[in-house]
Amino acid sequence: MCGIIGVVANKESNKLAELVVSCLTRLEYRGYDSVGVASLSNNFLEVRKAKGTVEEVVKKKNIKDMSGFAFLGHTRWATHGPPTDYNAHPHTDCNNEIAVVHNGTIRNFKELRDELQALGHKFKSETDTEVIPHLIEEYMKRGMDAFQAFKSAIKIIQGSYAVLAIIKGEKRIFFARRDNPLIIGVGEDKNFIASDIPSFLPYTKKVIIIGEGELGYITPSSVYIEDEKGNPIDVLSRMQIIDWDASSASKEGYTHFMLKEIHESPIAVKDTISGFLNDMETVKEVAEEIRRANRIIVIAAGTSYHAGLYFSLLLNRKGYTAIPLIASEYYNIKLSKNDIVLAISQSGETLDVKMGIKKFKEEGAKIVSLTNVIESHIARESNYKLYMRAGPEIGVAATKTFTSQLASLLFLYSVIERESVDYLEKAHEVVRNVITETEGLAKKFGEELAKKSNIYYLGRGLGVPLAMEGALKIKEIAYIHAEAYPAGESKHGPIALVEKGFPVVFINYGELDDELEKNLQEMKARFAITYSISVNKKLNFSDFEILVNADERLSALAIAPIIQMIAYYAAVKRGYDPDKPRNLAKTVTVE
Amino acid sequence: MKALVLAAGKGEGLLPYTEKTQKESITVLGKAIINYSIDGLKKSGVKEFVIVVNERGNQIEEEVEKLNVSFETVIQKRQGIDGAILDGMEKIDDDVFILSFGDIIAPYNFYKSLMNTYIMSGKQAVVSLVPVSEGIQTYGLVKITDKLRIVKESSTLALAGAYIIPKGDFTSFLDYIDFLSSQDKLAYFIWSEDWIDIGYPEDLLYALEVLLKKKESVISENAEVSKTAIIGKGVIIEDYAVVEDYAIIKGPAYIGKNAYVGSYSLVRDYSSLEEGSKIGAYCEIAHSLIEPFAEVGSKSYLTYSIIGKNAKIGASVITASYPPHVLTRPRFNKLGALISPNTSIKHGSILEPGTKI
Repeated sequence: MCGIIGVVANKESNKLAELVVSCLTRLEYRGYDSVGVASLSNNFLEVRKAKGTVEEVVKKKNIKDMSGFAFLGHTRWATHGPPTDYNAHPHTDCNNEIAVVHNGTIRNFKELRDELQALGHKFKSETDTEVIPHLIEEYMKRGMDAFQAFKSAIKIIQGSYAVLAIIKGEKRIFFARRDNPLIIGVGEDKNFIASDIPSFLPYTKKVIIIGEGELGYITPSSVYIEDEKGNPIDVLSRMQIIDWDASSASKEGYTHFMLKEIHESPIAVKDTISGFLNDMETVKEVAEEIRRANRIIVIAAGTSYHAGLYFSLLLNRKGYTAIPLIASEYYNIKLSKNDIVLAISQSGETLDVKMGIKKFKEEGAKIVSLTNVIESHIARESNYKLYMRAGPEIGVAATKTFTSQLASLLFLYSVIERESVDYLEKAHEVVRNVITETEGLAKKFGEELAKKSNIYYLGRGLGVPLAMEGALKIKEIAYIHAEAYPAGESKHGPIALVEKGFPVVFINYGELDDELEKNLQEMKARFAITYSISVNKKLNFSDFEILVNADERLSALAIAPIIQMIAYYAAVKRGYDPDKPRNLAKTVTVE
Repeated sequence: MKALVLAAGKGEGLLPYTEKTQKESITVLGKAIINYSIDGLKKSGVKEFVIVVNERGNQIEEEVEKLNVSFETVIQKRQGIDGAILDGMEKIDDDVFILSFGDIIAPYNFYKSLMNTYIMSGKQAVVSLVPVSEGIQTYGLVKITDKLRIVKESSTLALAGAYIIPKGDFTSFLDYIDFLSSQDKLAYFIWSEDWIDIGYPEDLLYALEVLLKKKESVISENAEVSKTAIIGKGVIIEDYAVVEDYAIIKGPAYIGKNAYVGSYSLVRDYSSLEEGSKIGAYCEIAHSLIEPFAEVGSKSYLTYSIIGKNAKIGASVITASYPPHVLTRPRFNKLGALISPNTSIKHGSILEPGTKI
């Protein structure tokens, strides 16, 4: 989800730098941790880059002073190597004559890097991207012209990519794409190329689509594209006029980021599991620390707290003492010797969690963090860093990050328990199947619940944290008052409110279903309307039911997307924008 | 990019209504069903249309001409939807084209999303998908795995009737989708907002609900609305419509151009009187679609019913709507009568729920 922009114009000017900055600003929504710009003039290729926001980096590095006729800009979301100034894009070759920006993952970068280093190339970053400028340099050294060298470099890399390159002596921007978007914008006296249309939409509405596996170059007045076999493409036949707004273009067909991100959950889970497998050493160390600990304090806020509560229940059932702690209530726990703290935060910047960590560190605790942002504040403050790899999440309501948290915590739990983690290799398929099989039903549930003012979400056992998350989600985005309780607790108070037509959603995790069935009957006896979301075992007598089948160890991953889709469709039915819920921020950095 | 619009189906779910009337020419809120697709595509930048029709093509042409777009019609020769696509495809010169079903009512952003996905994905083909929960077996379903696959069950995601596909040599459109997906040439998006596939009477009534919910009251200055009439919220009254003394239009409701509402009549709750239709005095119309130039005699009571173009409903006709008979896509638990165009119903008739004439 990095952002890419390239501009090439007839005349050298520092006004182009301002233009690139404005394009970069419009890429900010994709999420990033560092920013960089390269400029190319007749005599000079220059790169200025740093960790931070567009505003910070532009100011710090005087980017608006850069001059040239071709520019590359990049916003980076760290994957290979932490977010640092030197890992920020663009990356250059040994002689600073070739600059490259890249979005995607190069699978064979280690082999290529080793080979290039053996040939004497000097690397300045830990990124996979840096192999590309060195490859181009190497091919040019061997006598190829710039385009041939670029093509040869692209041919040898494996993986996914959207790549732009500028090369000293060339008045063009070279590009290639596979599995990552790249769009050309045709301007009056300049041409653009970017990872999405909104970045250049104020400057041109004429776009040319680049297909999978295609590559080519843009000059200030022309576009050249060829397919994988080297056949030139008729670019004029590809030209489209865009007349929609920037926000709708960036959602890639989906009406809202939230729904798009729910549909990205399977890949987020898959990438997260694969990230954990690649970092088995850390996971094993964390597991050992947890096994040795006296108590495990699991601190988190909001949705992350529900993931933490789920994890705590898993551990407590195995005889560990895990204490789920709402981050803002951190002062209620005094650490004792041999306690360990697990901090969970999507952004890694949640202030309440940061404050809790600070206190527990002062009390001498070891901190394990689970975040979705590499080298985020919370990660940096931790002794052990675990990462989800859900990718940036733009919708304010956590969706794919929650599912990825559950997958991460199940992985960690299995390692603690010395169980095989093989079953998690199918986790993304469970999420994907559930979405396909239940989206229509979740829409129907959501639209029914949209008519209500109050809802109870009830569950038992491991279903309780998911009931809590279901209630939170529908509160957050559909603005329907919802409360969650352990189902057995409902008769100790909450049931007093139940009357004819009162909606009660049962989260049937697939365990304790007989007990849950009794609670459902109690609600029905008060004329409640009952909805149930069940894994593997049906709840009899429910008025409406969504039943899915899944490996019982993955029930949480099956339920998570359903409760999210219900909330989403309830919000849409009520006419609200689920991406921007009122009074909420994506990252809560205030007390 | 050209659009190929299909409007040659038999309309089996709406028989006998569609024996002589092409489904896509039925009007809803003053606009033929096919024109919802064509208008949406036009607003997404499509300039040329090829429309596949049958022997009733003139009904379609008459409606599409109202939109001022460049189009040509092709009479379907081969059988089924696959045949219609293949017949239409012969008129498309471009490598890639939009395939649109002419019986879908969706906002124009639906078509923009289709174009958007095509551009952003860089894939050669795009399919639109919608979540469905009623009458699931009546839709073409897909399963999202590593590749998108056409399935017959275990899915609640349906093909949504608007696609971008490259021209190809195929005999089955669904197999072609599977093929494009297996070749990694296919992108998809989920459309989560309003979308109605008009296949059954209940779909037309549902369309009235969906469309009228979004409308705000507009009363034409050229309409003749009696001072004693009561006009509620969400009411649209078009040019030269007449609303007589003491009539109540409770809304949400649509009174089309030149339509007539007799004295003391009540039009309420998602009803539409299309162009030139007339209802006499003391009628009650609820959740019903009265097609152009249909006439309803005085003292009639119509609910959850569809009255075809030029049909004549006698005085004191009552449509019962509950229990609803068998509904294929049960969005309501009521269904009244489906009265074909140009037919007449005798004075005083009582029509049982689900009557089809």
